[in-house]
Amino acid sequence: MVNPLSLFLRPKVTETFEFRDEELEALGAEIKKEIPKVFGHSLAIRELDSGSDNSTEIEISNLGNPHYDVERFGISFVASPRHADVLMVTGAVTLNMAEAVKKTYEAMPSPKFVVAVGDDACDGGIYKGSYAVLGGVDKILPVDMKIPGNPPSPKEILKGIFALVKNASK
Amino acid sequence: MDIKMNKDTAELLSIISGIVEEEPELLNARENEIYLRLSETGFEDAALALAERKFSLIGLFCAEAFEKKSGFTLFYVFKQAGQAPALVLVREAEKEKEVPSVAGTFPSASWFEREIRDGFGLDFAGALDNRRLFLHECYPEGFHPLLKTFKNGPIRPSEFPRKEYRFRQVKGEGVYQIPVGPVHAGIIEPGHFRFSVIGEPIFSLEIRLFYKHRGIEKLAEGKSPSECVALAEAVSGDESMANATGFCMAVEQVCGIKVPERAERLRAIMLELERVYSLLGDLAGMAVDVGFSLVASPFLILREEAFRQNEKLTGSRFLRGITIPGGLKKDIPDSLLNDLPAFLEKFSRAFETAFERAMSSSSLIDRFATTGVIKKELVSPLNLTGPLARASGCPADTRLDRPYGAYKDFAPELSVRKIGDVFSRFEVKANEIRASADLILRLAEKLPQGPIFAESTGYAGYAGHNLREANSPGATGYSLALVEAPRGQNLHWVYMKNGIVDRYKVRTASFCNWQVIEHAVLGNIVPDFPLINKSLNLSYAGTDL
Repeated sequence: MVNPLSLFLRPKVTETFEFRDEELEALGAEIKKEIPKVFGHSLAIRELDSGSDNSTEIEISNLGNPHYDVERFGISFVASPRHADVLMVTGAVTLNMAEAVKKTYEAMPSPKFVVAVGDDACDGGIYKGSYAVLGGVDKILPVDMKIPGNPPSPKEILKGIFALVKNASK
Repeated sequence: MDIKMNKDTAELLSIISGIVEEEPELLNARENEIYLRLSETGFEDAALALAERKFSLIGLFCAEAFEKKSGFTLFYVFKQAGQAPALVLVREAEKEKEVPSVAGTFPSASWFEREIRDGFGLDFAGALDNRRLFLHECYPEGFHPLLKTFKNGPIRPSEFPRKEYRFRQVKGEGVYQIPVGPVHAGIIEPGHFRFSVIGEPIFSLEIRLFYKHRGIEKLAEGKSPSECVALAEAVSGDESMANATGFCMAVEQVCGIKVPERAERLRAIMLELERVYSLLGDLAGMAVDVGFSLVASPFLILREEAFRQNEKLTGSRFLRGITIPGGLKKDIPDSLLNDLPAFLEKFSRAFETAFERAMSSSSLIDRFATTGVIKKELVSPLNLTGPLARASGCPADTRLDRPYGAYKDFAPELSVRKIGDVFSRFEVKANEIRASADLILRLAEKLPQGPIFAESTGYAGYAGHNLREANSPGATGYSLALVEAPRGQNLHWVYMKNGIVDRYKVRTASFCNWQVIEHAVLGNIVPDFPLINKSLNLSYAGTDL
């Protein structure tokens, strides 16, 4: 027989986390405070790969991992551009993806923001001068925030998101 | 030319001499690679006989203005699974003249031939498929980026309306199509999947990739080897270390560079760290795709720990910017390496707990078992490689079959399963994480002291520790390197002229392995597709280049 009291006395998590990062927590708290000023209660991001080397995707999806778990801060990654406030683009925009990038952006409701993540998305990076890329997301979409890096770390991406939200509330 | 051969390559030469009724022209040979030129009839006879002897076509690529030739030179790379030497049959081709296709004998040639057709405008007579591969409809007719006459730079995309890409047609009562992508519902790379479905089961799948084609091979042309490392690292982010190493090995072979022992050992440690974090992502992904995040989370925690370990050792979470032809750009201090055993011990304990949790779920096993079976018969014709081939009963691993660098002295434990379903791949990948952790421990033990960069390099552009080299005229030659990346065998071929890269061909494991997904999903239900896809975890970036 389970003592019903034990359900309340149990700790909230089953395992202890050894990786609490105060800097991250502080940043997250700031973001959480800032988001409702512009976006209601959460920030919906649609990630779009326009030709990255996949490391940036890995770092962005790492934001959802237990170490970061950014959903706590009101940031969610959504499946459809129709649900998104922000389009987060990685890669130097290949010719083969240009059409799909435009259509994805057009499918988003206004107002909408575009964030370029990674050196290649910011200005073409090492693909500059290649026949196969347009070079930088701003060649094709209005970019509101650039987060450079090869690739930027999850924390750097989070800082970029914070800067975007901060700018948007101005 | 003074050509040195070892026992294995000499044996290959005698095999070919026995097949064809002519004396093959020996172009070049190195340890475990031999280049032969045959007449057209000789080539066709040899190709058939090699197929009978269970050789796979592991690579097929083209170079223009190779050595003193003016037209195109085709390189057909054959290798037997489990054997070290690579046999390269060299075939000359002229502009506007068709080359007979070998795709009927070696199905893996089909994508290679389409790739060459796009790159160089060379047509293959009797090819299985004449559609474009990496050049989508936005590229104008007659555009072939790898021709030397094309100077790299922005081009004018073709006008609308554009030509339509013809997918395979599947017709009949109750058949309907599900088009998916290129943009998918998640944080993943772009690609298009065209399902033909009867009810829930998949009747046919056709994939279309290369949305991420960034022109890496063209960008490498005319650059110094040290500049090209960043491009090799960008082939596929989660294989940065493997591709940087593969590229460097090819350059080192051309230039005759001897990499110091300490650098070889450190490279191998990093290669295994890369395998660990990559495969952890696969295990987590498989759990996520059956909706089981409780199982995925511990793997993701470990993965983040591995990334942080990488950053501690090299300054880069993806182990970038440290590899260079000749060795390493910087040493990893012993004080950091000494922490590895403690890290791995803790890691292994947590890993076993996480693995046990996965294995204690009958619903997870139910979803994994018998799903997405890859038959062993497909391994050689499609040149499948890596964990997915090993999960289908093919015990090949480049680190064991054709050891390079520190793997000559340190062998990983091989894991093989026979069934070839998602469950087998889950087990093989878990075993490979264990084997890598064990290997890192052995590699880090009694690490030799000494330099981390070769005394002499013979290529232009990077001074390293020797300023004289920066101005040296540099080597001319070509060589092939095979490395075992987390996803399987990657092929790097470099042709250098006076220390400068003239042609860089990279073929990742994903390029070959992608093609098997069309087979693996047959008869499975659509909701299992994401799981099958994740269990293969192929790189789009590494395929699209």
